[in-house]
Amino acid sequence: MTPILPTITGIGSVSPHGPLAGLIPQSPLEPSAITAWTTAGLRRAFLVKPFRPASVVPGLKTRRLDRLSAWALVASSLAIKDAGIDLSQVDRSRVAVVFATCFGCVELTEAFYQSAAANGWSGTDPGTFPETLANAPASHVSLLHDVRGPNITVGSKCFAGESALIQAASLLRHGQADLAIVLAGDTLTRPVYEWYEAADLLSPACYNSEPLPEDGGFVPSEGVAALVLEPAGRRERRCYAHLSSGRWAAGGEPVEIIRQMLGGSIPSLIICGGNGAPCTTSPITDLAREIAGDRAAIVPSQAVAAGLADTGALLHLILALSSRPTSGQALLLGTLSGTSGDRGFAALLLELP
Amino acid sequence: MTDIQETIVVTGVGVISPYGIGLDCLQAGMLSGKCCLVPTRGLYPGFEGTTAQVCGLPLPAEGSSSRYSRTDRLAAAAARDAVADFDCENSAFGESGVVMASTVAGLTEIDPGIVPDPTAWYRRGGLSRAASYPVAHVADAVGEHLDIRGPRCAVPVACASGAMAIALAANMLLDGAAPIILAGGSDALCPFTLSGFNSLQALDPSPCRPFDQNRKGLNLGEGSAVLVLETLAGAAARNANVLAVLRGWAMTNDAFHPTAPQKQGNGLADCMRLSMEMAEVSCDEIGYVNAHGTGTPLNDIAEANAYETAFGRRGRPLPVSSTKSYFGHCLGAAGALEAATTIAAVRCGALFPTLRLTNPIESPSVDWLRGEVRRQPLPMAMSVSAGFGGSNTVLIFASGRS
Repeated sequence: MTPILPTITGIGSVSPHGPLAGLIPQSPLEPSAITAWTTAGLRRAFLVKPFRPASVVPGLKTRRLDRLSAWALVASSLAIKDAGIDLSQVDRSRVAVVFATCFGCVELTEAFYQSAAANGWSGTDPGTFPETLANAPASHVSLLHDVRGPNITVGSKCFAGESALIQAASLLRHGQADLAIVLAGDTLTRPVYEWYEAADLLSPACYNSEPLPEDGGFVPSEGVAALVLEPAGRRERRCYAHLSSGRWAAGGEPVEIIRQMLGGSIPSLIICGGNGAPCTTSPITDLAREIAGDRAAIVPSQAVAAGLADTGALLHLILALSSRPTSGQALLLGTLSGTSGDRGFAALLLELP
Repeated sequence: MTDIQETIVVTGVGVISPYGIGLDCLQAGMLSGKCCLVPTRGLYPGFEGTTAQVCGLPLPAEGSSSRYSRTDRLAAAAARDAVADFDCENSAFGESGVVMASTVAGLTEIDPGIVPDPTAWYRRGGLSRAASYPVAHVADAVGEHLDIRGPRCAVPVACASGAMAIALAANMLLDGAAPIILAGGSDALCPFTLSGFNSLQALDPSPCRPFDQNRKGLNLGEGSAVLVLETLAGAAARNANVLAVLRGWAMTNDAFHPTAPQKQGNGLADCMRLSMEMAEVSCDEIGYVNAHGTGTPLNDIAEANAYETAFGRRGRPLPVSSTKSYFGHCLGAAGALEAATTIAAVRCGALFPTLRLTNPIESPSVDWLRGEVRRQPLPMAMSVSAGFGGSNTVLIFASGRS
């Protein structure tokens, strides 16, 4: 495994914490009641409060876009601003966009189905169809910033965010881009929420106003997180973290593979990503302890990021960086459910300055 | 790139196409000049037109833990075909990765009935059908079907997806992410996409005529292709048969319009140039280009302009054809199927003509292939893909004998 050393120089996010450039202020967040559709009793989730994108990014036009595209535009703009990058001074043909999503532009996909239900398949809306494509957010990011490097959208069960980061780092490493805007996120809609509900995946906290329990399902979330990646040492800029290496797999012996990746060192911090309930004791924290014993501080999953399921890794990372960890090695860890020996995992090794 | 650790080779190709199962079947069908585009009457609600369908798709794998969409089934069947000659008990094979492109994915399993009351739709059997909706499910279907457990990733980048999956897999191999990666694309015909392209008035009701001055639009098709990629070192270590070498790959974006290509094809031309730089070849060394060639007025003129830009300094006109004239535009699978077609062209020394091309776009740098199949040695060929959202991907394949 050859090391990859891109640096995270900018952060932007549109999350239940609101649209923010840089780190996210540490404040407790409770799920909100869903009001976007009629529910049979209280239903809660971590929701992005409605905001006008042009109030955050002046001049931004998002009227015909899926919220996912609109949030990608806002989050990418905030991350570029946070990185202090003047794109007019950059070779834009060398800027990549890598976007991770599970459900894609599901709002407009539903709208397209609605138009089919109302008018038949021969009467659907031509303006909506192209915006249903999962790569629409990434293409809008390229259009807005006029960046013409690789424009990639990825999905990966549980590890879409991690995959996007690793793919972006690979583009830098192979000289296929000089700078990458990495994004990950999803929107929450009624069919998605009710699918989780029908599949019995939701936490009791979705149905009452009690504090979040530590197990028994998760609270869905929404939002888009963005990072700017640049090769190490390119500019005199703030560095949030260096990305040293990354691995992910759908199965295998995670402890053995991650120890091999660590090359004998033990990280001082393990950030538990992954989806599911934010437990202090869970398969992922067990895996973290198996890797590091009691030599690493273990940060459990954050509910608001865990609720993003496949695309929560970037928000997990931003929240962990927002707690101002001490310098050293950090491991961002995610796992698939499975037997303790053979299971899917994602592991990103970071150097914190 | 000469180092065997950094040379990416193709050691298997699996194809499910309207011609049937296998690369040989695709190659034989195309050499015979057979067109798979046929009128579609009553098969899809609200749609009358021309498509290319896959018949006789193998049933889902026995013991599958999840429901397979039609897209998943196409992908799994192509992957099975790709590894037909493999020793699947080999430990390296178990660590294989999967990068699969799709645009439709599980949309084939969903209908407008979900909209008014999703919970009721799930209770009526939609719960497991909707589970195949995320595009990642296509990669999981391949991985589960073959019982391989390396990294899995799906690539939903519209019509450039299939080629992009192959490019990303090549990067992953260079990074040592897995010893072998199965990469390709899969998409099935479904009312959603037929209706969408119909609403955009992008479809030709008759079989399409790419690069013809009288072209009227595209036809949709379905299918899947999966390449087995590994480093030359890995292939040599297990004494694998090298079908082709992936000499170069590149990805760019037009950053011009959500759906329309940039008319001069600048982004696509840059992509061609970058792929040739990576392959360390001159534009004179490319013997054939399998074009994106959808048959839409805007795509084909932009693409012709891109060839003028990228190949204008060539000593002789560049042989180009669109094989979408045989089996339509298979969306997320298109780039992978056309990569497989390009490999077939290199393997058998055949330059496939564009069907129904009678009055080509004027493009002095291009030799528009039409009429009979041209037989000649073909050491190296290029496969070009582009798509909604402005994404472009170009792959260059060389003969495995090289």
